[in-house]
Amino acid sequence: MMLKHLLVVVGVGIATVTGLTTPAPRPAEIVARATQDPARPPQKQQSELVLALDNPSYQPRIGIPDFIATGGDAELQTAAKMLADVLAADLDFEREFLVVDRKASAAIPPAATPEAINFDRWRQLGADFVVYATMRRAGAEFTVDLKLLLARGTPPGQQRFGSEYSKCAMSNPRYCAHFIADDMHMKIRQVLGVARTKIAFASDRDATRQSGRFDPGSIGKEIYISDYDGANQRAATANRSLNINPTWLPDARGLAYASYVSKFPDIYVSLFDGRPPTRPAGGTDAIQNTLPAVSPDGTRIAFASGRGGRYDVYLVNRDGSNPRNLTPNTPNSDEGAPTWSPTGSQIAFTSDRTGTNQIWVVSADGLGLPKRLTSDQHSDAPTWSSLNYIAFTLGSGPGHDIAVIDLSKMEVRVLTDGIGSNKQPTVAPNARHIAFVTTRWGREQIGILDYPTGKSYRRVTESGNNTFPDWSPVPGGTSTATNKTARVPQ
Amino acid sequence: MRNAFSRLTIAAAVLAMCAACGGKKPPTTTASSAPNPFPASSATDTTPVSTPRPPDALPVPPDVNPNTRPYDNLSPDDINKQAILKPVFFAYDSDEIDEAGRKTLDSNAQILKEYKGWVLTVEGHCDERGTPEYNLSLGDRRAQAAKTYLLSLGINADRLKTVSYGKEFPYNPGHDESSWTQNRRAQFMVTAK
Repeated sequence: MMLKHLLVVVGVGIATVTGLTTPAPRPAEIVARATQDPARPPQKQQSELVLALDNPSYQPRIGIPDFIATGGDAELQTAAKMLADVLAADLDFEREFLVVDRKASAAIPPAATPEAINFDRWRQLGADFVVYATMRRAGAEFTVDLKLLLARGTPPGQQRFGSEYSKCAMSNPRYCAHFIADDMHMKIRQVLGVARTKIAFASDRDATRQSGRFDPGSIGKEIYISDYDGANQRAATANRSLNINPTWLPDARGLAYASYVSKFPDIYVSLFDGRPPTRPAGGTDAIQNTLPAVSPDGTRIAFASGRGGRYDVYLVNRDGSNPRNLTPNTPNSDEGAPTWSPTGSQIAFTSDRTGTNQIWVVSADGLGLPKRLTSDQHSDAPTWSSLNYIAFTLGSGPGHDIAVIDLSKMEVRVLTDGIGSNKQPTVAPNARHIAFVTTRWGREQIGILDYPTGKSYRRVTESGNNTFPDWSPVPGGTSTATNKTARVPQ
Repeated sequence: MRNAFSRLTIAAAVLAMCAACGGKKPPTTTASSAPNPFPASSATDTTPVSTPRPPDALPVPPDVNPNTRPYDNLSPDDINKQAILKPVFFAYDSDEIDEAGRKTLDSNAQILKEYKGWVLTVEGHCDERGTPEYNLSLGDRRAQAAKTYLLSLGINADRLKTVSYGKEFPYNPGHDESSWTQNRRAQFMVTAK
């Protein structure tokens, strides 16, 4: 019965929309293996610096020279520099290490062996630790042997961290560097890194004019996917319609999004497997659905629908079964923009039942009365982080700001600095960063700032207008809901 | 583009005057929130637009041969391109149809009663100032408001679908009050005839 229903849904998908474009191959998982310096095993010496490497209140200063690919071919030599650049950017992003500026350290001669490292020069640039990493190639793969060496001490060069990363793909050296960064953050700093995550968003960069429409502003939007650092931006849809609000499935294995490809909005779910998307909300021109949010376990989708007159928040199972209205008791107000709590037990959403759009929360089973979380200005686009705060858009415009509400204190705080309009926040899986839409650089672009400081603005997109960002989970499905790795720097 | 729109504006005026001849209350000139229906956009439109054929005989006298009705030879695309059915404009964050909006809908309803085969989608649109998520529901309310008024004038519900595009398809992609005024609209797109 359920299978039959699923087939019907898939059939509709085939008839009306092409799937996500050819999926990028999921990288084969890299294998990390801890290594020790056989000559000088780590000693339990309680020097200040030994403590410093994993001291959460201290940022170890780390120097990262180009990786060593002695005897390797040109491709490996190119990858050696890229790995160092990407690793440095990843470590700098998370602010757990202070990375010595790679331009400044470029003048230090490369060292073919650990003994040849000029630790004096590195110390002059402020380094406490120096990365020494060698690469060797085997066909389409390569292996990185990385050590973190103490730049101080007598003699310097004692190993404080070591790991071998095998099965790195020659075709994707950036991913290998991201993997190493996440591994170092977890093993050394006990922090969940986000270097392997991606951000999905809607973009009009293809400037597709809509057939049958003659107003100059009718430019289509496709769903795009970018690495968290702005690299590898590619289209995930190619239907030349309006596609908005992508939201990741658990483990980043696919996306749900709203598309107007059938001339009305409906929810589409696509895995990166080349198959056509499913339409679990079963939209028709009389039953229109938008703003999907996938439950943390991937079994249910919350979304907004105006099928009953005014908008309400609905739930439906991934297979299309059991559609139900989560907000049936407010026929004269609009409810929308749902977001799941990290455990999936609650859903926050917007409602204008008090006269202005505010953020409310209700149990995901629909039992009990919804509770209001905000009460001031127009609030929209809530996104529930793994760290007991909800980020949202604050203000009725034209300027908006990113705000957060701390659910333990019920305090609202504005994070953005008022430059440009800032909206549609999405929180990184470690809750330490928030991506959002901003006009501070001109058109609508995806930017990132740090939580809780509201500082360190970084730009992800460059071309077109880019909206509705959604930050992917960390591949591998690490839950941060109850994880100490959601620690936030103070 | 500009010529087409000014012709349409004149055509609309002719229509309105005839409504007055028909014994209805003469149209009052109100300081309405409604702008000229789609004056030439300040934005550069790079799409070549063929000069639309001006509507030649308006309004249609009841005794005229149906074969000579002015819009019979127009495709749905032509009808939409020439904005034969005029958009209705809204105040900021409002789904209320004002006096000017009712006049526009009265005119549109006259055309729809004459051309009974036309099926259309009523689109709700918003300016860019509100939040994108909220604008999806606001646009839906605007489309529903326009549809409800047309239903009250006797247009069959089977001919009227609605859809909200929120702020995603502005008529005028500019970022000032005059653009926003044009973008807060219910727009009528003929999908079949």
